[in-house]
Amino acid sequence: MSNAYEYAKQNQARFLDEYIHLLKIQTISTQTIHAQDVAEAAEWLKTMMLNIGMDTAEVILMPEGRCPLVLGEWKGAGDSAPTILIYCHYDVQPAEVADGWDTEPFEPTIKDGRLFCRGAVDSKLHVMANLKAVESWLAQDEKPNVNIKVVLEGEEESGSENINAFIAKHPERLSANIAMISDGTILDPKQPSLTFGLRGLASLEIHVQAPATDLHSGHWGGTVHNPLQALSEILAQLHDKTGKVTVPGFYDDVTNLTNQERELLQKTEPNIQREWADVVRAPQQYGEAGFNLAERIGARPTLEINGMTGGYTGDGMKTVLPQKAMAKITCRLVPNQDPEKITDQVREFIMQITPDSVDVEVIIPEAGAPPVRLDVNSVAMQAGKVAYTHAWGVEPVFELAGGSVPITFECMKIADEVIIMSYGLKSGRAHGPNENIYLQNFYNGIQSTIKFIEEVGKQHG
Amino acid sequence: MDNALHYAKQHQQDYQNQLIDLLKIPSVSTDSAYAKEVKRAGEWVVADMQRIGLTAELIKTNRHPLVYGEWLGAGDDKPTVLFYGHYDVQPAMLADGWDHEPFDPIEKDGFLYARGASDDKGQFLIHLKAVESILKSDGTLPVNVKFIIEGEEESGGESIESYVINHSDRLQADAVVVSDTSMATTNEPVIVVALRGGTKMELHVSGPKSDLHSGSYGGVVHNPAQALAEIISKLHDADGRITVPGFYDDVKQLTADERAAIAQVKYDEDELYAETGVPQSWGEPDFTILERIGARPTLEVTGIAGGYYGEGFKTVIPQKAIAKLSCRLVANQDPAKIFALLEKHIKNITPSTVKSELIYLGSGRWASMDIDNPVMQSAVQAYKNGWGYEPVFMREGGSIPIVAHMQENIGAPVVMMGFGLNTDSLHAPNEHFSIDHFHRGIQTSIHFMYEISK
Repeated sequence: MSNAYEYAKQNQARFLDEYIHLLKIQTISTQTIHAQDVAEAAEWLKTMMLNIGMDTAEVILMPEGRCPLVLGEWKGAGDSAPTILIYCHYDVQPAEVADGWDTEPFEPTIKDGRLFCRGAVDSKLHVMANLKAVESWLAQDEKPNVNIKVVLEGEEESGSENINAFIAKHPERLSANIAMISDGTILDPKQPSLTFGLRGLASLEIHVQAPATDLHSGHWGGTVHNPLQALSEILAQLHDKTGKVTVPGFYDDVTNLTNQERELLQKTEPNIQREWADVVRAPQQYGEAGFNLAERIGARPTLEINGMTGGYTGDGMKTVLPQKAMAKITCRLVPNQDPEKITDQVREFIMQITPDSVDVEVIIPEAGAPPVRLDVNSVAMQAGKVAYTHAWGVEPVFELAGGSVPITFECMKIADEVIIMSYGLKSGRAHGPNENIYLQNFYNGIQSTIKFIEEVGKQHG
Repeated sequence: MDNALHYAKQHQQDYQNQLIDLLKIPSVSTDSAYAKEVKRAGEWVVADMQRIGLTAELIKTNRHPLVYGEWLGAGDDKPTVLFYGHYDVQPAMLADGWDHEPFDPIEKDGFLYARGASDDKGQFLIHLKAVESILKSDGTLPVNVKFIIEGEEESGGESIESYVINHSDRLQADAVVVSDTSMATTNEPVIVVALRGGTKMELHVSGPKSDLHSGSYGGVVHNPAQALAEIISKLHDADGRITVPGFYDDVKQLTADERAAIAQVKYDEDELYAETGVPQSWGEPDFTILERIGARPTLEVTGIAGGYYGEGFKTVIPQKAIAKLSCRLVANQDPAKIFALLEKHIKNITPSTVKSELIYLGSGRWASMDIDNPVMQSAVQAYKNGWGYEPVFMREGGSIPIVAHMQENIGAPVVMMGFGLNTDSLHAPNEHFSIDHFHRGIQTSIHFMYEISK
């Protein structure tokens, strides 16, 4: 048994100080005014990588002055040993007291075992937990049996364009046997979880138009198909009464969960039911019959209207028959749906159901993101399971996330296996005011990554 | 009379400039931010009446002021004509699709372009300029005149409604002239003999307690924007009939004669395409286009908003979505009853996965006018001589609730001398008014005052 674990415990106080130091730097990537702060944090992280014993560390500048990547490498395990790539991001969302913070958002404050600060959970928690785990290993005489790369992104909150381009251009710089994406949340403070799937995304806009200009609803009402009504009629035909998407072929490529996956997922259902009651709190549950909430969120695709507009909706009333109406739609996709095929199918169906009394145009403004499902039996997953169990004292459950984490798909191109190791909590209010995390999550995260490194080394050995 | 007709022709440019001055005032009554501008427009009208020689005042109301002006020098043995109009306008912004600033009038190809040019500043000013022409050239009028010009026609018109009810003695007249309607072509002027009423509503559909991440929760909550679309889609059948139970129960069916009268005005699909630009006509299959406009009720969605519709995407499930709904009603539908029917129907078709609420925003009654009375015949004669063409009688699809109120409270025949064109883009971008119609209207109004004095 290595004493990396003991080292981490003995150095907790210093680790926390360093975490707090990083939190104070306002690494807001969406605001160019903070470019200097982002650069300062990148340099500080590079220096830390070298100080903790990594062989090389580099601040990689991005085009057009965008926020840099920080890449560190330790190759001490030798060419025959496997390599782990740890990905985290050190940039944060904007935050101001006026948004509803009880404290200064960049003045870390500890209260009742929780650390309050912008970036506390998303995602400096992960940056520091992983760097401190690597430090704990490299401080030992007995080094890890795996080579380690750590890549820290500086613009996850503002598009991630550059890291995707960097991976495409220099895949060898980040290539690894296992990519460990460390970001996101576990199910519950006491219940760690491993995410084995993410939904993809496909987006489109529907524009319906009839008259050449807005018309007086008195003069023309009754003779012209109102575009708002026609849009509503089109949108109403996209789901059946049970909430199933009616677009022909929509479900054709959906793979069913394996029995093993379904059983694993079932364990998250009580938690999601509780969350529905707390967070969603709509008058009644909704969705595809025959699937529980965990399956509807994680294993079934959706078609959602994110926004619709047309006519006059200001103060009072403007009695117009509007010239046009518009809706924005996104589909959440599951394996093996293809974003392009789905948008084509939706477009074709809309064209088909649009009456001759209006004109319709379906615009596909951006390429979608493909869905991801990870093998729950992979070496990485097994190591992750052992790591969480060691740190939390409880076996992790396996969950499917409804959202998209685009970097996952990129990492699948450069690594044999991908795992998502999350140490945050949904209650940590990422992106919101009073972002926070239990200090215990930080300490558990360090222990978990130390164990993960050891396990991967063992299993490959 | 000839002096007045001549005077009007001599002063065409002055009258036009005055109209432009008035059009520059953004008297948008639907938006409380413009309240000062509405008042400023009212004051402009009062000042113009006083300059002409009328006794005029701005009457305070709970909202926007009324303008009242009168000249009663013709004596008791002469008839009194009450002119109605409105000096407020619909909202307008460059971003709506205007080619120029909507409150900076421009003249182009014989038209004045500005919000309110045709609806209704250009139209009511015609009568004031007719009065001015007679008074300035003859020093007297052949009839007594009263003007009641309101400032909230586009936003409910509650103030004039209560004024007409409570001060009907002050507004007593032998004829009421309303100019707030339009015609298809100059050589076929229209006197409207029926108006649709209306009920305005707002439909709110809500679901979760706040906007939700569409990834985290998509698939387990009924999207309120989708639910709203589903509810709206159930309000009409595939043929365009309204599906609300009882909606058509009180609709007075057209007689064979009425249908024949409507059919006299030639109007076909091609004209609808040309005027509106729609790819195909729509509506109740058992009625002609003009019957649908003039004699059939409607239910229109006039606005929808929900979620994020700015640039790019925000992947949310919106907490709620809203729609503004407007019904056009015909004889003998009761606006309050129609609202109650809709409220009940929407409640019935709202799924238990979301909540809906229908909010009442106001209503107006339909009106119909007799064509055989002498006032109407004076108007016909005035058109023949002043406009140059004989008018046709038509049923109008729009609503002018005050017409029904004046019929009930003043008791005088109402004649609707509309001077706009159907293509004037009322309530829409690039509203405009024919300068030729403005001047022909003044001539017609002068003739009307002399005709009715006989």
